[in-house]
Amino acid sequence: MAPTVLICDDAIFMRTMVGDILQQAGFDIVGEAETGTQAVEKYKQLRPDLVTMDIVMPDMGGIDAVREITKFDPNARVLMCSAMGQQSLVVEAIQAGAKDFVVKPFQPSRVLEAVQRVLG
Amino acid sequence: MDPSRYADLFRTESREQLSALNRALLALEQGEPTREPVDAIFRGVHTIKGMSATMGYTAVAEFSHELESLLEKVRDGEQGISPELMDALFAAADALEDGIEQAREGGAMSEAMRRALERLHDVAGGRSTAEFRAVRMSGAMAVPVEARPEARPEARAEARAAAAEESLAGEGVLVEVTQEPAAPLPGVRAFMAVQRLRELGVIRACVPPVEALQAATTPQRFRVLLDTSAGAAEIERAVRSAGDVASVRVERRDVAPPPTRDAPPRDRRITDQLGLDELGRPIDRAPAARARHVRIELSRLDSLLNLIGELVIVRGRLQALTRPVPDPALQETMEAATRLIADLQSEIMTSRLVPVGQVFDRFPRLVRDVARQLGKDVLFTIEGKEIELDRSVLDEIGEPVVHLLRNAVDHGLELPAVREAAGKARAGRLTLAAQRDRSSVVIVVRDDGRGIDRARVLARAIALGLVEAGTVRLDDDTLLRCIAHPGFSTAEKVTDVSGRGVGIDAVQARTRALGGALEIETAAGLGTTVTIRLPVTLAIVRALLARVGTERYALPMTHVRETMERAPAVIRRMQGREMLLLRDEVLPVLRLREVVQLPWDRAVGTEEIVVIERGDRRAGLVVDELTGQEDIVVKSFDGVRAGSSLFSGATILADGAPALIVDVGSLL
Repeated sequence: MAPTVLICDDAIFMRTMVGDILQQAGFDIVGEAETGTQAVEKYKQLRPDLVTMDIVMPDMGGIDAVREITKFDPNARVLMCSAMGQQSLVVEAIQAGAKDFVVKPFQPSRVLEAVQRVLG
Repeated sequence: MDPSRYADLFRTESREQLSALNRALLALEQGEPTREPVDAIFRGVHTIKGMSATMGYTAVAEFSHELESLLEKVRDGEQGISPELMDALFAAADALEDGIEQAREGGAMSEAMRRALERLHDVAGGRSTAEFRAVRMSGAMAVPVEARPEARPEARAEARAAAAEESLAGEGVLVEVTQEPAAPLPGVRAFMAVQRLRELGVIRACVPPVEALQAATTPQRFRVLLDTSAGAAEIERAVRSAGDVASVRVERRDVAPPPTRDAPPRDRRITDQLGLDELGRPIDRAPAARARHVRIELSRLDSLLNLIGELVIVRGRLQALTRPVPDPALQETMEAATRLIADLQSEIMTSRLVPVGQVFDRFPRLVRDVARQLGKDVLFTIEGKEIELDRSVLDEIGEPVVHLLRNAVDHGLELPAVREAAGKARAGRLTLAAQRDRSSVVIVVRDDGRGIDRARVLARAIALGLVEAGTVRLDDDTLLRCIAHPGFSTAEKVTDVSGRGVGIDAVQARTRALGGALEIETAAGLGTTVTIRLPVTLAIVRALLARVGTERYALPMTHVRETMERAPAVIRRMQGREMLLLRDEVLPVLRLREVVQLPWDRAVGTEEIVVIERGDRRAGLVVDELTGQEDIVVKSFDGVRAGSSLFSGATILADGAPALIVDVGSLL
């Protein structure tokens, strides 16, 4: 069975791009979320193998969402999607339970490497 | 991956972000007390930065990066909000918009973008222009994480280095990690590596210290002294799992096995659970609530619309051809096809509907700019953003609405002092409202300004011969007819007086070309309301077919209230004019034959009457015969836009004959 992924980003552009990369790598995109709140809800509902999480989102940010998701499922595998210059935020996200991160602009090979690390 | 595939998506989404950003800027300017506007502005700029960097649009990426840095200061309270800052931010939003539109052409930041940034920096009193230039030249995208300033760097550093070496000299496993030279955010990777090591044992020392590593912006070589029972291979694996590790050297300093921590590494447990929940049951992966949207090129929706239009015409012909054939199976199949085509048509129409908010959302910004430019104080509200209109109708109506809003601020609303003197609130009220009214959408632009000066419009209208010399008062409809008269508006004087003269003819022409109607109401000192009534969808409308002599005309049902056969009793001559007696109403009578200037024909037998209405105005329209109802496909023609035509377009009827569509609204 193809591993499942939930993509969380407030920009459709980014969701499309991440989705394309992962789909080509054989992932099943089971859901998308535009806000942190949605991300948490959808995680609980879909229990995906992987979550990609933007840091800056309206409503609830990505870091708080990671915190909530990890509280719900300590084994959740969340990959942070960060922009350059967000070093301290990424550290915070890792401390909150995220497993790895990628930096925009995305290079497909880098995204897949990170995904490999996250899924062990 | 080819990023050009994403170029359209980038543009569309950036525009949405900009529109949200402008809304948030307005909220911020109006002093919304919460953090939300600043956060929203920050998010918008941040998202655009991420997308443009991904697209390789460096000018936009750098610009938004600079803007983001400044916004960070505002967010963190380091930078206060002043009117100057707001203006600079608005200007920056505009420059960003230009940059996005031109992003595809590539190249460096435009002059406008550079100026906008310089202005921001000037206002924020932050970095000087020179410094900013230096940063920009270096192409630095990442915010440099400042090294903590030291009082006497050299001496302190030496002392620290010595202490660090000493700290690594103890018992345990020395792990030396070198990061990949191209690692992005190497500080985070280093932090993760240290964290992975911590899961294997106890960290005795780390050089450089974790806090410094974490903040590093260049790839590092670092050493960790670890108390662990883990083997070299396991340690190396753990470090490498942090990513971007070029090399790992593991050196055991002592044979004595140190105490272990028995917490198993988390990652392995996770791997084992793929597809199982915590009780070991397969996780239900029902495809619940997936995203259900796709983006479609507008041109594709247009071609669908054209196709369904042609199909509707063919269906009409087919119906006409099959009607006389007494074959039940054929009739049944025809009926089924008719139903399906109707469903298909309604689906396609619905898919083209978008909320007016998509266009209206950019108006607050526009009103603000015009108001500021003219020194007016305007309270602008939008109502009914969720009301839906056909995408192309909405696109077409945007410009006329802008016109009306500009006019309202420029000529309708008075200066604050003038308003106060007149006993009004300093701030003028301007409302843009959309409402659904049966098969129409009504768009209203309402202000509480000075109103149109009827006396002066009247004088001008008499001078131009638009109304009879003896006229003493203009009603609203005549007023509209006058100010919408091409040529009337070009007179300089009138713009000062009426305020509404400018371009009203263009607004009316556009409205009529869309099959809509324009109304105006004005009261001196109280304000003006302009109403645009539009069909919800273009292209296919239900129409009544009327025959006059040998010609046929289509009357859109939007304006038809009822029809009746002419019994001689219902039309009476009153004061030399024909009037229609309809229940308790007396309506004026129009003859389509006269309207289209066909010669009188004695051979006409029974006439029929169509009661047409627009708003609360009604009239009886006499035609030779009503031949039926049909869905007609509207083909607009250029003549409609140019002059005051009676017709809003043309169509091909079911039997293949062309017919003109009567602009019923204009008859009233």
